[in-house]
Amino acid sequence: MSSESVRDRWLSIGMSVLLHGSLVALLAVGWWHFRHPAPAPTPPIDATVVDARTLKGAGVASAPTPEPKPAPQTQPQQTPPPPEQAAEGPPPPTPDELAMRQQAAQQEAEHEAKAQKELLARQQAEQEKQAREEQERQAAAAQAAEDEKAAQVKAAAQARQLAQAKKLADARKKTAAKLAAQKKLAEERKLAEAKKLAAQRQAEASRQAEAERQARVADLQRSLREEERASAASGALASWQSELESRIQQHWIRPPTAQQGIDCILNVSLVSGGEVTDVTLGQCNGDDAVRESIKNAVYAASPLPPPPNNIAYPHQLEIEFKPTN
Amino acid sequence: MRSTPRAAALLRNFLAVLTAACLAAPAAMAQLKLEITSGVTHPVPIAIVPFAEAPTDGTDVADVIQHDLVGSGRFTQLERSKMPGTPTNAADVKFQDWKAAGSDYVVVGQVTPAAGGQLALDFNLLNTLTGQSIARQRFVGTVSSLRNAAHRASDVIYQAVTGIRGAFATRIAYVAIAGQGTEERFQLVIADADGYNQHLILQSRFPLMSPAWSPDGQWIAYVSFESHLSAVYVQRVLTGQRTCVSMRAGINGAPAWSPDSKKLALTLSGDSGHPQIYILDLATQHLTRLTDTPAINTEATWSPDGRSIYFTSDRAGEPQIYKIAASPGGAPQRITFTDEYNAGPHLSPDGKLMAMTTRDDSGSYRIAVQNLTTGDFRVLTHGRLDQSPSFAPNGASIIYAQRPGQGQAGILATISVDGLTGLSLKPTQGEVRDPSWGPFIQ
Repeated sequence: MSSESVRDRWLSIGMSVLLHGSLVALLAVGWWHFRHPAPAPTPPIDATVVDARTLKGAGVASAPTPEPKPAPQTQPQQTPPPPEQAAEGPPPPTPDELAMRQQAAQQEAEHEAKAQKELLARQQAEQEKQAREEQERQAAAAQAAEDEKAAQVKAAAQARQLAQAKKLADARKKTAAKLAAQKKLAEERKLAEAKKLAAQRQAEASRQAEAERQARVADLQRSLREEERASAASGALASWQSELESRIQQHWIRPPTAQQGIDCILNVSLVSGGEVTDVTLGQCNGDDAVRESIKNAVYAASPLPPPPNNIAYPHQLEIEFKPTN
Repeated sequence: MRSTPRAAALLRNFLAVLTAACLAAPAAMAQLKLEITSGVTHPVPIAIVPFAEAPTDGTDVADVIQHDLVGSGRFTQLERSKMPGTPTNAADVKFQDWKAAGSDYVVVGQVTPAAGGQLALDFNLLNTLTGQSIARQRFVGTVSSLRNAAHRASDVIYQAVTGIRGAFATRIAYVAIAGQGTEERFQLVIADADGYNQHLILQSRFPLMSPAWSPDGQWIAYVSFESHLSAVYVQRVLTGQRTCVSMRAGINGAPAWSPDSKKLALTLSGDSGHPQIYILDLATQHLTRLTDTPAINTEATWSPDGRSIYFTSDRAGEPQIYKIAASPGGAPQRITFTDEYNAGPHLSPDGKLMAMTTRDDSGSYRIAVQNLTTGDFRVLTHGRLDQSPSFAPNGASIIYAQRPGQGQAGILATISVDGLTGLSLKPTQGEVRDPSWGPFIQ
């Protein structure tokens, strides 16, 4: 709440008090005139309009806020006297008439007086009632003002407390935010650091893996090249081996007794033309027919196909006959 | 000694050249290893050179041997016209020539007179690839036994090359029907396995059926209607002595010898009209009933171990083959499930295969074998009405009755167990049926 608005509020309160005070004063003057029908002429208004704002120090001193507004000193205001009654009427009456008139006048005067008296009583009662009501109103107003003031004080206190709490909370919040920001920053830095580190590590690992892979590839290629160079002959050898096996298989007329489980070794001697010159039976679990048949197979396959150029003719073959079904 | 720089340079050069030479030379190999895991099942090419023969009954020994070997499906012959020569002893055989002619083996031999008016048959089995003699043997006998001697030579050759004992010098029994109308005669005949050398051992005006060789080769059991009712007889082959072993009410049929030749499995119906399988102990005449179902149970045959009986039964509607223990109380177990009709079982000597008559989808009756271990079922023949299979004692072939066509007389034929080689036996006059292959002759 700004001090400007506080001030406005106090001003409005002061003005309200002043207005109410003036009303009370007017009533009081009216009452006084009613009681004293011929008041002495009063001097012109002997009052000064006071600016409530100038009344420093007056009023409630406990209010810490500036410009307290004491209830203004009110001056009874000059009210015009009520008009006097003038006797006016028709031409003078007769004595009877006059008597009658006098009597009538007397009666009327009595009536008048009585009516006046009743009126006065009613007015008085009315005024008393009004005064009472006014008093009550004033008291109520004062109470209200008091209450309002107290409420305001309380509200102000509360506002202050709130403000303070808010301030404190704000401060705390600010501190916390600051701390959080710092923490976040630290964490981010840490994370970034970790990321950076991880990336570095990964890069390093990838680099190493790649290096290893390349090394392996190079190794493999090297060994392949070496193998290719070295086994150009052995590849041809394997191929020739297959050719030999195929040829012998085609010539092996398997007797019915050459069943799975038969395992016989033949040692075969060759001359360079591929001709089989000797066949010697090694270990063999077959019967005579099996032994006969495998020897026949080798001889029937003779001459064996020549080996590739880069392979020397093997002069010995070891052939294992091992039917798989 | 201290070498001069010049000598050192020469040495270096020499070593370098030597190294280069070593590297440039092909890799030397002392031995190469091969592995053979399969072969072929071609027939073995063989040349049976005509024998040098003293005057005989005209038997061509080489031809008999060749017929035996080639008929087995295991050999293929070299036609005489393509032979590079006609050597009759090993010394005259030029192996290269025979090898070049495509024969792995050559058989040479002679038939010469022997003491006592007998004949001696000598043969030599030569391997043209190795130049070695594989088998040589001499058989001496009467002139009439020359064919048998030739079959025995075939047995030796067959076993030397295939590893399986030959069954050429064995005999068969069968029923022949000679004549027609009132002259019709039922004959019980025994012959060599190739159908030659027939001997009539029984003749009847009434039907003869189901001859069966005893495993010891001494007896033949059969069914005869000579007394107007069926009866089972056993007859000694050599002497012709015979005994009726079952002439019970109803059917007496389908005798089958136990492996020990002491019992017969029989089909008997009694008064019930439902043929059942029984075992008859020939020594005690004790009868043991094996089956008991209101269905036909017949054509019993023994497993080689004598523990089981295989038989035909229509208990499931169509005839199928069942197995039951050869002792009372066993529960029959169905064996055949291929085709709707399987009947007349006969087991191979090793008990691994069962031959039977099967009716295929075309309605033809053919010989089939079922592997009793794997259940593998294979139809071997392609006739219209093939039946009554009987294994050779070496298990390599099956003899069966074949009716070539409607109205034609039945003949006998053999088929190798692989179904590849079939051979019709020597034609006979009239109808032949119900062959039974006898055992090895000791």
